[in-house]
Amino acid sequence: MRFRHLLFIPLMCATLWGQDPALNDAFLQAKALWATQGDREGATARFDGVVAALAPRAAKLGPEWVQVLCESYNWLAVLDDRSAQNKARTQMRFQALLDLNPDFELDRALTSQRLLALYDRLRGEKYALVKLSYSPEGGRLLVDGKPGSPLLHRYLPFGSHKLTYSRPGHTTSEVLLELGPHDVKAADFSLTRTSSAITLYVQPSEVEVLLDGQSLGFATGKSGPEAAALAQPLGLRPEELSAPFIIPQLSPGKHRLELRAACLRPKVLELGPEFATPPADHTLEPIRLDPSKGTLSVSSPWPGGELVLSGQSRGPLPVANLSVCSGPYDLLVRFPLGAFSRRLTVEEGKSLSLEVRPKPRLAFLGLEGGDFTGRARFQGQLESLGDRLQQVTFLSAHAGEAAAAAMARLKATREAELVLMARPVPDKVTHRVEITVATLDGEEESLVVKPLEQDPLGSLVARLNEVPSIQQPGLGLSVLDIPGEPGPWVVAASESAIKAGLQVGRPILQAQGKPVASAQDLQNLLGASKESVSILQDGGKATLPIQLESLEVPLGSGGLCYPAELAQLRLELVGAKGDKANLVKLNLAIVLMQFRRYDKAIELLRDAKLSAIRGVSQGTIDYHTGLCFLHLGNSYQSEAMQAFGQALKYPQATLLGPEGPLVAPLAKQAMADLK
Amino acid sequence: MLVLSPWLRPPAALLCVLPALAQTQPPDGGLAERLYRSGERAYAAKAYKEALDTWEQLLQTTPQSAYASMVLLRIAHYQLEIEHKPDAAMPYLERLRTDYIKSPEAAEGLLLRGVLLKGLARRPAELKDAMAEFDRVIDLFPGDPACAEACLHLGQAWRDQGQWSRALQQFIDAFRLHSGSAVAPRAMLEAAETLDLMQDLPGCLRMLQRLRTEFPQAPEAKEAAWRMALRVKQRLQKPLLRNEGPWPSGRTKWLKTPTLLSFTPDGDLLIFQKDLDRVFRLHGDELVPQGPPAPGTQVLLTDAAGAVWALSKNGLLREDATTPQPLGPLGAISGAALDHWGDLWVADARTPAITVFNRGGESRSLASPTVNALAPLPTGGVVVASDADRKLLYLDAEGQPRIVVPYGQDLPGPFRKVVALASDGAGQVAALVEGSDFGQGVLILGPDGALLRQATFKSLGISGNITSLALDRSGGVILCDRRNDLLLRLN
Repeated sequence: MRFRHLLFIPLMCATLWGQDPALNDAFLQAKALWATQGDREGATARFDGVVAALAPRAAKLGPEWVQVLCESYNWLAVLDDRSAQNKARTQMRFQALLDLNPDFELDRALTSQRLLALYDRLRGEKYALVKLSYSPEGGRLLVDGKPGSPLLHRYLPFGSHKLTYSRPGHTTSEVLLELGPHDVKAADFSLTRTSSAITLYVQPSEVEVLLDGQSLGFATGKSGPEAAALAQPLGLRPEELSAPFIIPQLSPGKHRLELRAACLRPKVLELGPEFATPPADHTLEPIRLDPSKGTLSVSSPWPGGELVLSGQSRGPLPVANLSVCSGPYDLLVRFPLGAFSRRLTVEEGKSLSLEVRPKPRLAFLGLEGGDFTGRARFQGQLESLGDRLQQVTFLSAHAGEAAAAAMARLKATREAELVLMARPVPDKVTHRVEITVATLDGEEESLVVKPLEQDPLGSLVARLNEVPSIQQPGLGLSVLDIPGEPGPWVVAASESAIKAGLQVGRPILQAQGKPVASAQDLQNLLGASKESVSILQDGGKATLPIQLESLEVPLGSGGLCYPAELAQLRLELVGAKGDKANLVKLNLAIVLMQFRRYDKAIELLRDAKLSAIRGVSQGTIDYHTGLCFLHLGNSYQSEAMQAFGQALKYPQATLLGPEGPLVAPLAKQAMADLK
Repeated sequence: MLVLSPWLRPPAALLCVLPALAQTQPPDGGLAERLYRSGERAYAAKAYKEALDTWEQLLQTTPQSAYASMVLLRIAHYQLEIEHKPDAAMPYLERLRTDYIKSPEAAEGLLLRGVLLKGLARRPAELKDAMAEFDRVIDLFPGDPACAEACLHLGQAWRDQGQWSRALQQFIDAFRLHSGSAVAPRAMLEAAETLDLMQDLPGCLRMLQRLRTEFPQAPEAKEAAWRMALRVKQRLQKPLLRNEGPWPSGRTKWLKTPTLLSFTPDGDLLIFQKDLDRVFRLHGDELVPQGPPAPGTQVLLTDAAGAVWALSKNGLLREDATTPQPLGPLGAISGAALDHWGDLWVADARTPAITVFNRGGESRSLASPTVNALAPLPTGGVVVASDADRKLLYLDAEGQPRIVVPYGQDLPGPFRKVVALASDGAGQVAALVEGSDFGQGVLILGPDGALLRQATFKSLGISGNITSLALDRSGGVILCDRRNDLLLRLN
C-alpha cells in the first residue's frame, strides 16, 4: 500500500466518524474506484476507512450501516484475495463479517465460487441454519430475548436458543432449538388473534398517547416510505409523520384516545366499539396536532430583572408580548437583589400580563444533626416548603453542602437575602427541632417545632406568608362605631374633608352608594375603590379623594417573621422613591429597633424625611430617633433631647398609623425624664 | 505503714468507693426530671402535698438542675392560686431572683413578684419595689413575653401615682412593642382611659375604636364599646335630657320607699328600700335581696369585687358581715366612696373633713369643707359637694382640690343644695340638686367640671321625692322616687 493511502485511513476515520453522509460517499467512491477505474489500492484504502470508522461502534449501528459494513467486508475480502500481499487477510475479513452478521449473504456477482465456498465453510464451523415460517407475517422475532429480523433463514451459533415471535393483537409463540454442527432445523410460528391492534401516525412527532386517561408512551421518530400512502393525501412527506405507534391490545367497548404535547393543542378521538370487535388491525389516518400558543408580558418597577421561564432565560425585563407555548410554566424573575417566582399557566390565544416585584430569596441550609423518628418526613416537608410560600422565593439546599459552608457561600455571593436553618434540639430523644430564619446580617428569629405533629411547618409558613402593609387608603377622617348609630360616626375630619361637605358629629350612611355599617366596612370599601369616594350623611353628600396613609409595622407580633420583614423592606426600598422610600426607611428602622440594632436604625432615620405632618410623619421619625439615642446610652443624651424636641414640632404626628397615639406627649415626657 | 483502726475501716472504704458510686448514679438531670414529672403528675391529680414534697426534694437534692427554677415558680403559683397566700409565695420568688436569674423562668418570676408587691402596696409610695421589679423584667429580658405584662403593670403603677404621661408611655409600649401579647387589649383600654385623664378626648376615642377593631372578641372590646358610646353621648352629642318615665319597662309601685341607688361594677343596680331596711340587687328584671338587713343606711356602695357596703350611723355593714363595723365618731354620713387602693372615703355632714379608712381600719383625716355628697373619680380621687361653700370640688388621690366648680356655673340660675352625687367610671359626674332659682333637677358634668347636660324636674314633668341617682352605661340617669315607690330614667 502506498504511503499516501496509509495517510488517507486515519484522515478518513477522523472526518467520517461523525459525518455519516461523507462515510456513505466514501463507500460509494470505493466501489466505483475498482469497478470503473480498477484502482484496487484506492478502493481498499477507502473500504478500510469505512471499516475503521464503523467497526468500533458496530453494536450500536442501525441496520443500514450494518449493511454497509458487511458489504465493505465482502469487498475487502475479494480485493485482498486478488492481492498477493493481502491474500492472507481474506479469511480474517470473512471472520469479521460472520461475527457481525452470520445471516449476511455474499454478493455472488462479485465473489468467486472459491470464496463463496470458503465463506460457507467458515460459517458452518460456528453456525447452523434455521428455516423459519411466520403466520401471520409482520410480527416481531426475538432470538434469546434480543430482537432480530424475521427472516426466512437464520444462521444461529451452536447451542440452545429460544425464538419468540409476537405480533400486536395476537398470542405469542415460542420455539426452543438445540443446534449443532451441520444441523438444519425448522421453526414454524403460527399466532392466534386475540384482540384489535391500532396503528397511528402523528404529525408532529414526540406526542404523548393516552388511552382512557392512561399514558401509553410517546409517538416518536419518523416514518419510512411505507407511510407514503398515508402522508400523501394530507400533503405531507412520510418523514413528517412519527414512526407508527401501535396500541397492541384494544379491549372490547368504546375508548377515548388522547394525544397531547407541549405547544400543541391536545386532540381527543373517540374509538367506537367497532374498532375492538371483531378483532382486527386498524391503521388510523395520520393525526395532526395544531400549535397552541399564548403571549406573556412581564414588567417591574424594580430595575435589573431577567425573565427565566421553566429554566430558560428569556432576556431582561420588560418583556412584552412574548409568544410562548400554552401550558404551565415555572416563572422566575431574577433581580440584582431578590427574585420573583410563580407557577403559572399560559392559555391558548390569551395574553397574560404580570407586574412583578422582587421577593426575598430564602435559602434552605439543610437539616442538621443526627437521626430521629420522623426525620425523613420532616426533611421532605422542609424541602417542599417553596410550594407553600407566597412572599419569599425558596432556594433548596445544595446536596452534600454543610450549613456552615452554605452560609459562607451565600455571604460571599449574596445569592439570597434570608437563610433557613433547622437543627434538632439536643435531648435524649429528639422531640423538637429549632428552626431559624435569619438575614445574612445576623438578624434572626427561631421557633421550636415538634417534627411528629401534623403540620410542623404550618406556623412558619403562616409567618413567612404574612407581610403587613405600610400604607392604607384613607379619607382624612376619624370614625367611631357607636352602638345605636346607623353607620360609622365621624369624630374628626381634615379641613379639606370638611370643605368638601363632610359633617363632623354625624354618622356616614353610605359610601359609593352602598350602605356602610361600621368603620371596618368603610375601610374595606376604600380598599376596593380607586381615586375618590362619595359619602352620604344625613342631609349631605361629600366626595372625598382617597389618600394613602402611612402605617408602622406592628412589632412583637407572633404572626410575623421579622427577618423576612426586614428583607422585604430592604427590597422595597430599592424600588421606592420620595415619601414612599422614606416611609420604608422608617419601618426598616423600627424593625431594626426590635432587633436592638439602634445604631443601624439611626442611620436610616437620619436619612429619612417625610413631608407629612399628620399621622405617621416627620414627628414620628424624630421620636424614634430620640428613642434610638436613648438606648445607645448616656453619651447620646443631648442627641436624644434634640430629637425629641424636633418631634414636638409636629403636634399631629402619631405612632402606628393615622389613628394611633400622638407622639407629642410621649416626646414631652421623654424630655422631662432626660432633664 | 499506716494501719487504720477497725472502726475507721468501713468509712474509709466508703470514701474509696464513693466516686465510683457517684459515677453509677444517674446524673442530676435525670433525677431532677423524674422528680419534676412526678410532682407534676401529683399536682395534676390535686395531690398538692405530695407534689410539694416531691418538688422540695428536688430543690434539696438537685438545686443546680434546670428543673429547680421551674419548681420554684410552680410552688409560688401554688401558694397564690391554691392557697391564696402571696406572702408564702414570696420566698420562692426571691430565691428564683437571687439564685436563678439566668434561668428561663426568671422573667416570669420577677413579673409575678412585682405583681404581688403591687398588690401589697397600700399607697403610691409603696409601689416603688414593684416598679423596680417590672423595670428589671423589661431591662433584663427585653425579648421575653413577660415584658408586655411588665409594661402594663408599670403603666398602672405610674397611673396610680398620678403620672399620666409616664403611664401612657408604658401602656403604649405594652401594645406597640408587643402587638401579639395577650395583654395588648387591656393595655389599649388603659391607654385610652389615661388619654382621657390627660384631657385628650379624641385620642381616647380613637384608642377605644382601635381596640374594638383589632381585638373585637376581647372582653376589653365590650368595655371599650360602652365607654366610647358614653363619652360621645355625654361630651360630644350632649342631647337634651328627656324623661323616659318609670324604669325598667314602665314598672310602677314595685318598690317600698327606695332611697339609695348604686351600680355594681358588672352593671347591676343596687337599691336600698327604707321600709324594708334592705339592699336589693336588680339583675335584669329580677330583684333579689342582697346581704343582711341594713337599717338606717345612708350611703350605698360596692367594692371592686361587687360586694355591697352599707354605711349608717351605726357604722359600715358589709355584705358578708352580720354586725356593722364602727366608723368612729361619724354619725351623719353624707357620702362615701371606695378608691383604687380599697380605702374608704367618708364624708360627715357635721364634720368639716373627709375621713379615709384604710383596709386595716386605720383612719386619717383630710382637710375639707363640710361635705354633703361624695362620689369616686377614675383619677383615684373623689368629687365632693359642699353646700356650705356652694362648690363642687374635684379632689385628687391625695385629697388635694384640682378643679373647683361653683354651684350654678353655666346654669341659667343657681341652686342651693346638692342632694346626691354619682359617677359613671368614665369621668362623668351627675349631681342631684335643689333649691334657689334653678330648683330641683339633675346636672351632668365632665371630668373637667364643665356642664354637659342639665334639666329641672319641672321641665321633665317629675313631681316625686327624688332622693338618689345613678348613671348607667348608656348615658342615662336613674332616679330614685321615694314618694311614688319607683325608679325613673332620664335619657
